[in-house]
Parts: sequence; structure tokens; C-alpha cells
Amino acid sequence: MTGYILKRVLSAIPVLLGITVIVFLIMAMIPGDPATAILGSYATPENVEKLNRDLGLDKPLVQQYFIWLGNMLTGDFGTSFALNRPVIDEVLERFNATLILAGTAFVLCSLLGVAAGVISAANQYGWADKGITFVVLLGISIPSFFLGMMMILLFAVNLRWFPVSGMWPIYGDRDLGALISHLTLPAIALAVVATGVIARLARSAMLEVLRQDFIRTARAKGVAERGVIWRHALKAAMVSIIPVLGIQAGFVLSGAVYIEIVFQWPGVGRMLVDAILKRDILLVQGGVVFVAACYVLFNIAVDVAQSLLDPRIKT
Amino acid sequence: MIAFVRLLARNRLALAGGIVLSLVILLVLLTPILPLADPDVTDTANRFKPPFSQGALLGTDHLGRDLLSRLLWGTQLSLAVGFAAAIIAATVGAAIGIVAGFYGGRTDNIIMRGVDMLMAFPYILLALAIVAALGPGLFNALIAVAAVNVPFFARNIRGVTVGIAHKEFVDAARLAGMSNTRIILTEVLPNVIPVIIIAMSTTIGWMILETAGLSFLGLGSQPPQADLGSMLGEARSALISNPHTSIVPGVMILIIVMSINLLGDGVRDALDPRLKSGALSRPMAATLVRRAGTPPPPAGRGLLEVRELQTQFHVKDRVYRAVGGVSLHVEKGECLGIIGESGSGKSVTALSVMGLVASPPGVITGGAVRYDGTDLIGAPYRQLRDMRGRNVAYIFQDPLATLHPLYRVGDQLVEAIRSHRPIGKEEGRAKAIELLAAVRIPNPEKRISDYPHEMSGGMRQRVGIAMALANDPDIIIADEPTTALDVTVQAQILALLDDLRRSRGLAIVFITHDFGVVAQLCDRVAVMYAGRIVEEGHTREILETPRHPYTTRLMACVPELGEGKRRLEAIAGLPPVVDKLPAGCAFAERCLKVQEVCRQGDIPLEGTGGRAVRCLFPEAPISEAAE
Amino acid sequence: MTAALSFENLSKTFPVGRTLLGASRASVKAVHPITLTVEKNETLGIVGESGCGKSTLARMLVGLLEPTTGAIQIEGAALDTADPAEFGKRIQYVFQDPISSLNPRKTIRQIMDAPLKLLHGMGKEERDKRISEIFESVNLREEFLERYPHEFSGGQAQRIGIARALAANARILILDEPVSALDVSVQAQVLNLLADLKAAFDLTYLFISHDLAVVEAVSDRIAVLYFGSVVELGPAEKVFANPQHPYTKLLAESAPVVGRPLTAPEAKGTELPNPLDPPPGCAFAARCLHATDRCRAEVPKLTEGAQGTSVACFHPLGGAE
Repeated sequence: MTGYILKRVLSAIPVLLGITVIVFLIMAMIPGDPATAILGSYATPENVEKLNRDLGLDKPLVQQYFIWLGNMLTGDFGTSFALNRPVIDEVLERFNATLILAGTAFVLCSLLGVAAGVISAANQYGWADKGITFVVLLGISIPSFFLGMMMILLFAVNLRWFPVSGMWPIYGDRDLGALISHLTLPAIALAVVATGVIARLARSAMLEVLRQDFIRTARAKGVAERGVIWRHALKAAMVSIIPVLGIQAGFVLSGAVYIEIVFQWPGVGRMLVDAILKRDILLVQGGVVFVAACYVLFNIAVDVAQSLLDPRIKT
Repeated sequence: MIAFVRLLARNRLALAGGIVLSLVILLVLLTPILPLADPDVTDTANRFKPPFSQGALLGTDHLGRDLLSRLLWGTQLSLAVGFAAAIIAATVGAAIGIVAGFYGGRTDNIIMRGVDMLMAFPYILLALAIVAALGPGLFNALIAVAAVNVPFFARNIRGVTVGIAHKEFVDAARLAGMSNTRIILTEVLPNVIPVIIIAMSTTIGWMILETAGLSFLGLGSQPPQADLGSMLGEARSALISNPHTSIVPGVMILIIVMSINLLGDGVRDALDPRLKSGALSRPMAATLVRRAGTPPPPAGRGLLEVRELQTQFHVKDRVYRAVGGVSLHVEKGECLGIIGESGSGKSVTALSVMGLVASPPGVITGGAVRYDGTDLIGAPYRQLRDMRGRNVAYIFQDPLATLHPLYRVGDQLVEAIRSHRPIGKEEGRAKAIELLAAVRIPNPEKRISDYPHEMSGGMRQRVGIAMALANDPDIIIADEPTTALDVTVQAQILALLDDLRRSRGLAIVFITHDFGVVAQLCDRVAVMYAGRIVEEGHTREILETPRHPYTTRLMACVPELGEGKRRLEAIAGLPPVVDKLPAGCAFAERCLKVQEVCRQGDIPLEGTGGRAVRCLFPEAPISEAAE
Repeated sequence: MTAALSFENLSKTFPVGRTLLGASRASVKAVHPITLTVEKNETLGIVGESGCGKSTLARMLVGLLEPTTGAIQIEGAALDTADPAEFGKRIQYVFQDPISSLNPRKTIRQIMDAPLKLLHGMGKEERDKRISEIFESVNLREEFLERYPHEFSGGQAQRIGIARALAANARILILDEPVSALDVSVQAQVLNLLADLKAAFDLTYLFISHDLAVVEAVSDRIAVLYFGSVVELGPAEKVFANPQHPYTKLLAESAPVVGRPLTAPEAKGTELPNPLDPPPGCAFAARCLHATDRCRAEVPKLTEGAQGTSVACFHPLGGAE
């Protein structure tokens, strides 16, 4: 087991390097004088010169990459020109807020999605299945930002159950209760699409598994139907559901960008969009590399979970 | 193609989606000639007019622009961009996937490593990075959305291509002298295209959402030009005061994406061959029973008595009569063989006993199965479940597929016991070891913590037998338990079963297609053809003096070891398909002795003293056979 | 007279598992070096249980797999592995699963056309004529040509597979379990058809199967494969009737035969050796009742014994006729 984890962590190194290469190459696509382009409206002569020195932009591309990579490894992601603050500080602070939002949504969509899929499959063509299928279809067809806006209108403006936006009350204590009331709407809005996708997949994975011979064996030995569905079938179906949970985590993280904008959530997604519109490229670069790296680590955890579930994965 | 459209139209939801989508497309195609206000002309005096106002059916936005006009032009733009992104992503992704999947090896490795890297990004980060580099704009957003979707297509299509590239017809094409390029174009591609279409139809809606999302963030279409996403983005600041400006474009996106998703699901269902046959239906806990009339009365023979059992498969509008009135019985401690070819109904008969025929599509439509006098057909599920494994246990064909791959064999054994009575942890373990020892698995203390994949085929089948023995049943139904095994392993499993039945007084119903196996193991045998028993009797009698022409011919056409090189007595023709059974004898078409009367009316199974044959002109009279 | 097909020291080793850098960690010998000759117009049966390497051997012989060592000669001429089309003209393959060996999206005519057009460069008219002839000889109706594979039963599809192999005009057919996917009543039809075709077109067969009775019924000589090696080779009527190798004897006694009482043949276990860690000596030693220290240390070579059979055993069973 430890061997597998170690191997999986080691195999993440080339992926992480690959991520930096891709981000670096995309940024190299910027036309014209890179320093001026990167700095955009902050391109004062001093700034341009500083950036050129920092990134070694006068040097060949390969060398530039290694300078940039070396800086990042020492924790130096550069300085945001718009905020005049080290990129890493800003990213870490914002990422914390995103993690709370996306983490909650991810837990929600995993639990609800799998449960809905199993119930749907277990009652195939029944009313529960039809109802779930319809709701799920609605869920995957609605843009999350539109859903968020509608939820604000209904639950925050009309019913006044939840605050309209933000992560904390402007006045008052920053306690758990305040966080939960601010978190509820955005987390649900963010979870809806992923719940739909997971439910659809869980349903078809369950249907696939329920046709297998070992399900017939379980029935033949007299296992009660509840045990057949939730013990035998779900466990086997999880083998194909877990990788999708990993992919969906990426989609939740992506969807968080929209939700953070709609709900004024002070997360990394909103930061990135602002940075792009202000052409604060170093902040974009640093944010993208950091979040992608976290996502890679998360996927290692998913793989380890998968190997714990499935004894056939060895070495 | 026509069949495909017909299949699609049969799916009502897909049809509805298709109609809505067609209407939307028609509307945007007509937009240039409709009498609409200019979408980009601002008129701040008339801003935020509510819907149904004079001159503005859907009202106006924050700059006083006509919402209806903007909506239609925006829809046009969103649809065009979404479709373009989907086509680009599908084409590029499929090309990459096919090349990687077909060539395999190093090419595959390098390409897929790259794809993995791209997939290591939460997709929007990549899209944001691309837009950041290229600058905001609708065209750049299109490129970004297409680019982030390429890896999904590539990976999906590669998986399918690998499967196809290893199919035997690709090998055959190579031997027919085809070059790789030709194989890709004529053998692989036609088989991959349906998958590409499925992937596209199920992701187009998604891509429209993504481009709308980028526009919503202000990174896509730039003012004054607007697609649905940027309309929504601009309306957001007035969400609370003038919600209609948000709701109009939002609902349009919902309508478009939902209709595309409905249509896409329909396309997938129509193209996926597994769904065509209804194979993706989940089998229910017990076989459906729709018995017309009263069940036949018991004849009072045997511990398990099957009377006039009829089991059918209802697939679409066809009815396959898999079992067409079978009567059988097994005494305590007896071994009954059921022999037949595939499609003869032998397995379905066996599975019907405990309601294990997959349903849908299986339906038991008649007859009775009595265990110790109680009718199991139509018995409440609770009672059936209680008897499964406790009174009648099963052993199945493929031991790898029939054991749960993720549970240790010991746990699976204990579960079999626990389904019928509570058992403690220690006792369960002891009992599991005892069971493994009973089926002569060496070193059972260690083997109980093995997973099925860690065992050989023979060992797995022993576990299957141990599981059947777990609750000391009276009857074991063994459905071709040795067919998937090698001949040396088969001999050992058969010997084990024979020992067990003698030492425990088990009754065994043994289903096989092999006369050699029947001869060695069974006391009595029933021969099945096209869903019915054509001959039954004691094994020796049947083997020595078969009376039904089918039995005779079947025995003659199977080569037996020790007879040397020779020409076989083949039976011409094929067994009938059970949805179109002929009147009269089902074997008439292939029989050498067929007379006109054979094809008229039902032929009964007749005989005395346990020997019976369903034939008007049997091979030898019963008196001779008895000698 | 030159042999139809001969191969010398043909072997195949598969790499297993990869390290992070892509180098293979271990290797599995699927086929140990095998030397065999198939005479013209002969049927050589190859029999063995799952995992004995019989399909790997077959795929090497038609060029679908590159051998690790060894050389193949067809009618005295060495075969150049670079060009599958050259292979195709001389030696063809009939697959185990008849349905999956036909492209589901092509009509039977398109499938039949391919070898004629690509291997022999025939024109349209010539092809149609040849296809008619072949279909006639395998007892298939010409109206089948416009249909798709899913419309056929297993037996019909296997006839089509055989017809395709014949279309290439090869003189040697590798039949890889050609009837094991078919029902018993259809098996005999196909086996008889194969016998007829062999006589009519002067063909040479390599017939691979796990079914001893089928192999015995169709073969002139039989080679018994165990763990990638030939352990016994001899005339069909003698191999199972009077086995020399203990494994052959075990196989023959395991086959269910009408009239023989049910007893598990004597043997220790049924497990094959671990292919990642093969034993140093005879692969069967661990299961063999006659194994000695020599058997466990040294690999026996296939040597000619009594009655024209060759056996790879230090202690052949001998036994009276």
C-alpha cells in the first residue's frame, strides 16, 4: 500500500512539471513584447525593466522557463502588479475561501449524486427513476451562474432566508453560523450540475453492475435485495464512480469561478477573472499553477481511494 | 440511417427535444428577415421597460435595447459558437484518439501523457489561461472551449479505438493485405463514428454552457455584440431591480441546452447497440410472473417438481418462448442431467426454479415449480429469498464472473450463511474454513482471505461449490459448472460434486451440453430442444438406445476420444429460433425421418416407467430398450 | 518433397509491467522455442489447455505477432515478416470467434473483396466470379453477400470466415479453435466442411483446439502443448490411445467419456507454474507422479521414442500397444 502511494506520488512529478510547461507555453503565446503585454496597463518603464530582470525575458525561452520554475519552487510566484503584493500570499488567502465553497459543494454532490443514481437504478423505469432523471436533466442543463442568480432572487431577496452575497457578514461575528448561512446558496448552486453528472453516471454504472453474474450469485444465495443493491452492486459500481468523482472535483473547482462572481465570494476564481480583465498576468499564471497542482494532489488521493476499494489494482 | 431516425423518433423525450431545438434553430435562421429592432441601438430613455410593453415584447435592457431582438441575435451567436467548438473539439480529439489507440505503444504513451497533463487542469483554468494569453473575445473563447474539450474526446475515442484495434476483424484485414491507413479508414473509423457522434451529442450542450460562461465573465463576446452569456452577465447588476433582463437570456440557455441534452440522450440510446436490445435493463429481484389460468396440480413426484413450466422473453414486440412447457422432477439424493445446445432452454428452465431469470425481459407465463409441495412460482419475494440458497442452491458457469470481485472469498461464504441465520464472527470464520476444506481447497485457513482474482479457475469454482453448500441445501442446481474450465480441472470438479452428493445426500440438477459428463455423473437425463424436453429416461438407457432422432443424431455428431480420425455425422441446418417455432415437431426441419404428420399439431411427450420421448416415429420401441 | 510449413526455434517472450521510465520489469515466455514441420496436405493438431501458448504460436505463424526468436519457412521459402500481404497469400487464419472476426459495418461482399483486391489485384468482374466459386464451395448462398455480419448465426459466420481465408488463395490454413464457439450440432458441419475443402483444394491445416476428441477426429498428427512447449508429438491415433508423457496421459484420462466411470485422474494439483517465475526443470514436474530430482533440475528435450512419437520426458510411460 505505502509502495503504491509512493509510486503514485512520484508519478505526479512529471504531471506537475507538465502543467508548468503548458502554462508557460500558453503565456509565451502572448503576442508582442512579453513584458509590456504581461504588465498591460502597469507597463511603466521601471516595471518593464523589473519584470525583464525577474523573468529573464531577454534570455532564450528554455532558460526563461527554468528561471521561472526555480523561482516557483522557492515559493516565489512573483508580484501582482495590480495588487502590489506577492502572488503567493494573495493566492493562498483566496484559495482558502474557494476550498470552503468547493469542498462543501463536492461533498454535497458526491453524496447526493451517488444516492440519487443508486435509487434511480434500483427503481429503473419507476416513478422515483423518472423523477430523478428529470431533475438531473434540468440540473445539467441549467447554467450554474443563472441558477445562482435565480436562487438569490428567490431565497435571498424574496424570502430573505439567506444573505444575498459575500462570505461573511459586513457587521457582526465571523462565526460558523454566519459562514453556513452565507455558504448555503452558493454551495448548492455549485453542487447542482455535478450532482446531475454524478447521478447519471452512478445510475448507468449501477445498471451495468446489476446485470453482472455475481449479482445473480448474491441473489441465488438468498441475500436480501437491499444488500444486493447497497452492498454488492454499489461497491462494484464505485470502481467506475470514483474516477468520475475525481473528474467532477475539477468541474466543481471550475464552476466555483462563476459562483464566486455571482455570490461575491472572495475566492481564487474571482481573483483570476479580475486579474485577466486587468491583465495581471503573473497573478493568473501563479493562480493557475497553484490550483492545478492542488487538483493533481487531490487526484492522487482519489487513486489511493480507488486502490483501497479494488484489490485488483496492485503494484 | 432511416432505421436510426425511426428509433430516435420512437423516443418521445428525444423527439420533444428535437422539435424544440428545430424551432429555436428555425427562429435564429429567420432572425435576419424578421421585423426586429436593431439589437445594438441604445435608447436610455426607454431603459428597463418590462416585458409585454408597447414596441418591446420582452422589454428592454439597461441601455434601452430591445431584449427580443438581442435574445434572437444572441441565440444565433451562442448556437453557432457552441456547435463550432463541438465540431472542432470532436474532430481534433477523435483524430488524436484514433491515432493513439490504433498504433499503441510509444505513440500512444506520448500522446496520452500529454492528454493527461491537459486533463490535470480543472478545465476552466486552462480556458482562462488561454483567454488570458490571447485576450478576451468571442473567437478566443471559442478556441479556449474547443481546446479544453479536446482531451476528453481524445481519451474517450482512444479507449474505443483500442478495443476495436484488438478485434479479430482488424487482424483479418491485416491478413487481407490492408495497410494501416486503410485499416484506420475502412475498419476502425466506421466503428468509431457512432461513438464520436454520441460523445458530441452529449457534450454540445455542455460546450454552449461553457462559452456562455466565458461570455458571462466578460471574457467572451465583447460589447456591443452580445451572446446569451454576455447578456446575462450585463444584466446581473440589475438582477434585483429588473430580474426580467436576466431571466430572458437565462431561460433561453436552459431551453437550448435541455433540448440538446434530450436529443443527445436519444441519439446515444439509438446508436448504442447494447441499448437497442434493451440489455441495459436491470434484472429485478425475482423473475416476473404472469401466469394465465390456474397452475397445474402437483403430480406428487420428487422433492422438486417442475410442471409445464413456460418462460418467455419479451423483447420489444417479439416473444421468445425459451421454455415451452417443461415438466421435470428430482428425487432426494438423485442427479438429473439436462442436456441441450445453446438456446434449448436448459439454463432458463434451471434459473426459473428460484426466479433468477433476468426480468426484464424474462417472464414466467405458466406452470408450477413445487419444492416439497409449495409452489415457488408466484410465491412472495420474501419466501423465495428465504428459500434461495437454503433449500435450493446454485452453481454457475464462469467462476470468475460469478464471485464478487471486491470481497474476500471468506466474507462471501459467511454472507451466504448470514443471509439465512445470524452467525458470530468467530463461528463464521470457522464455518467458512470448514466449507473450503469440504471442497478440498488446500490450506483453507489462508485461502479464506484471498480475493477471487487471486485464485485459479478451478479453485474459484470450488469456492462457488462451497458457497452453494453453505446452508446445507437439499438441491443444488449446477448450470454448466465446468464448461469454462480446462479438461483436467473439469475432471476434478466433477469427481468432487459426485462425492459430495453421495456423502451429503444432495440432489443435483446438472445442466450441460456434454454427453460424456452426463454419462459419468447423472442418474437420469432429459434432452432439450427448442425449449422442450424431447426425451427423458435413465442415463444408461438413453445413451445406449436413444429413441428421439435428435438425441441419436446429436450423440453421433459429437466426436469422442478414442475413435480416431473420421468423418462426423453432421446434422444439417440450424436449431429454430424460439420466437418463430414451427407447428409440430421443432426438429422436423432437420430430421431425416420426417413425415407430413410431424409438422401438424403438438406432439406429446409419451412413455412409461420414467422413459418418455416426444416423437411420432421413435427410433426403437420401448420394449426393446428395456431389454 | 519440401514441407508445407516449418518453423525452427520459434519463441515469444512478452514484457510484463513497466517501471516509471517505461522499461519492462520482467518478461513472460509464452512460447518456448518450438521446432515443428507440417507436411503438405497434412493436418497437424495442436492441443493444450488455456495458457499453454497455442494462440500465441498461431498468431506468430501468420505474422500477426513478431516472434522473439526463430524462423518460419513456407514451402521451403523463408518468410519475410515485413510484408503481411506476402504472408496473406501463402498462409491464412480462421478465427475462434466467427462474429467478431467480421467487421460489423461491412457487407459480406466488401469483406470478401478485400483479399482479392489487395492481395491479388483482381478487377471487379474477376472478383465477383471468384467469390461465387468460393461461396459455392463452402455451401453459402450468394444472396448472403449483400448482408451484414450480425444477420448470421455462428456456424454461417464461421463459413464466411473460412471463405475469406480461401479467397486469399493460401494453401495453408491456421485454424484457431474454429469450432469451439459453435454448438455441437453445428460443429460437425464445419469440421466436415473443412475436411471437404482440404481434399478439394489440396490444403494443409494447423488445427488448434482444447478439445481432445475434436483434435483426434480431424488430425493426422498431434502435438501436445504444455506451458509453452511441445511435450509430445505423434500420430493422432497413438497420442491419446497410448500416451508417453504423463501430461498427455492426464489429459486423456480427464476427458469425459461415455462408459468410463467418474474418477479424478491421479495428479497433484491443477495449477500451472507461475510464468513470472518458471521452474528450472520440467514445467510439469510439480504435478507429475513420476518426477525425480533430474526432472526438477533439467528441462527435458523433445526426443523421438518408440512408435514414431516424440516425447519431452526423462521417464516416458512406454506401455504396451
